[in-house]
Amino acid sequence: MSTLLRGRVWKFGDDLSGDDGIIEFSVVREQFGKLDEVVLKAMCFRKVRPEFPASVKPGDIVVGGRNFAHHNHVEVSAAIKYSGIAAVVCESCETGFLRKALNFGLPVVVCPGVSRIVKDGETIEVDPVSGRVEASGGTLAAQPFSERMVAVWKAGGLVPLLKKTTEARRLSA
Amino acid sequence: MTFQLTAPPFLRSADSRKRQNKRPQDTKPDADEESSDIVTRPQTLAEKIIARAAGRDAVAPGEYVNVTPDYTAFQELFWPMHQKNMAIVGLDKVADPDRLVMVIDHTTSAAMGSEHTRTHRTLRDFAAKQGIKNFFPAGNGLRHQMLVEHGFARPGSLIFSDEGNIASIGALGALNFTMSWEVFASFYDTSNWIVVPKSVRMNLVGELPFAVTTRDLVQTIIRDYAAGGQLLQSCVEFAGPAISKMSLDARQTLLSCLFHAGADTAIMAADDVAMAYASERANGRPVLALQSDPDAEFAFEATYDLSKIEPTVTRPPTLAGGTPISTVAGQRVDQASIGSCANGRLDDLRQAAHVLRGKRIAPHVTMYITPASNTIYAEAAREGLLEVFARAGATVLGPGCTTCWGYQGVLNDGEVSISTQQFNYTGRNGSDKSDVYLSSPYVVAASAVAGEITDPRPLLKQKEAA
Repeated sequence: MSTLLRGRVWKFGDDLSGDDGIIEFSVVREQFGKLDEVVLKAMCFRKVRPEFPASVKPGDIVVGGRNFAHHNHVEVSAAIKYSGIAAVVCESCETGFLRKALNFGLPVVVCPGVSRIVKDGETIEVDPVSGRVEASGGTLAAQPFSERMVAVWKAGGLVPLLKKTTEARRLSA
Repeated sequence: MTFQLTAPPFLRSADSRKRQNKRPQDTKPDADEESSDIVTRPQTLAEKIIARAAGRDAVAPGEYVNVTPDYTAFQELFWPMHQKNMAIVGLDKVADPDRLVMVIDHTTSAAMGSEHTRTHRTLRDFAAKQGIKNFFPAGNGLRHQMLVEHGFARPGSLIFSDEGNIASIGALGALNFTMSWEVFASFYDTSNWIVVPKSVRMNLVGELPFAVTTRDLVQTIIRDYAAGGQLLQSCVEFAGPAISKMSLDARQTLLSCLFHAGADTAIMAADDVAMAYASERANGRPVLALQSDPDAEFAFEATYDLSKIEPTVTRPPTLAGGTPISTVAGQRVDQASIGSCANGRLDDLRQAAHVLRGKRIAPHVTMYITPASNTIYAEAAREGLLEVFARAGATVLGPGCTTCWGYQGVLNDGEVSISTQQFNYTGRNGSDKSDVYLSSPYVVAASAVAGEITDPRPLLKQKEAA
């Protein structure tokens, strides 16, 4: 799997709430943890970009502002991932969002300055392994993922990774 | 990973003029490691703890590093999810049972009959089968308390846990990292990745006025920072002359609520009081009196003059709504509760008892008081506090999270609670048409007596005069 991602940008501003902005957590609260793919895809970003659910294509990339996806249950990461988004690049976010997303197989790259180098609808290149983020407005260097983070991402999430490594240990035992 | 009982090179006194401000990745791989002057970046307290757990000389903010935590703390609500994932992944033996601390604290009254009682049984069986000694069934208390009372969290240690309020252990100079359900990974691996947070220093000066507590202080900090995002991916390090005047309980209150301001974690350097408490419970495990280097880099510094803090109430439904008590005084309350990882400790119970002694709560109010551990419960009994609570008409609950998450103390439509709990979002304690106001034990107890949100100072001054 190539780690260089290239896709159409969906750009969002600062302080976009996860639970009450990216999704409507109150609607899915009763089924907390069950993660209904159809329901979550249908509500993803529609509050701020009504055309998102119908127009998003697999491989598209979300560019977020400061404090992106604050207050986020795991449903937020799931909704973005289910929508086919390949990566999130943001000015800043809670570490909790980074963890939850990665555990779901969705890489989040924290990259201060990203809002200045790309516009909505343009193309961006992101490589979580090298940290390189490039668009029409320039190139930025985000913190590269660690080896373990890359492993989680490549496996498709934490549970798939643990399943893989546990099986490997068993076979070599 | 072996525990070091001697200080690693970067902790020995070194001539700081010889230190160069290099990031670890700038050091050439073939650099001369024999030199006694380690070329390293001055480190904050949090960076030192992380570096030790990562087997590194130094770390820098923003780095993704693999650390081996001293312990990983679990609570039972994630257990059904852990079971489901264990079935997918498969599990023969946990990686290191001695590094796991499993506490039942959320569903403490499940023995009275609920689906949670099944979870308690399977957890008990799992701990026995896996040889997990550090298993605390319902009734022992909150995992925050188990971590400090049993010496798992000690000065210099790094702990993985599920929640940000466990930064309360920072009062002992221990560093908490919030992993949510990812604590599950500790069943399989003794290490995991973290982000090195920026360090932010908050200096505390002056003295809290009469009847004002660290709960009022932290509500003020949250109000100042929650909306702005300045504390994202940060560790707040509290310092300053005011700390030595605070009890360990008061320090834990401050640290347990700090995550609501947006920080990843929080800590303070362990002073003599913290070192003494931790050393008594260390049982041979290391106790490291670490401090930030004098020339360490902080993302920014702020100062709080404690003498300017006043009794504060946080209005629903957000945590950023801390307001002077005068703005909400007179609001009728149906329920009052004292407890939670914010304010369930002995000092909090003493404050409540100070107000309630010789008083009765208002006839329309139900009051719940929950000691955060059996140790605290026993001490409160010895000091006669439980009698004060009972005579005042309050109900004392067994140690656990209880009213904080509406497991007990459920509110109906239109009902209002004043509480020392951690969260006040819509529906937290039952009805979506109920409201939860947050404040200190003094305010909660005074409000229970008056039947409405009340400034505790007049009542307390009356008691002093009597």
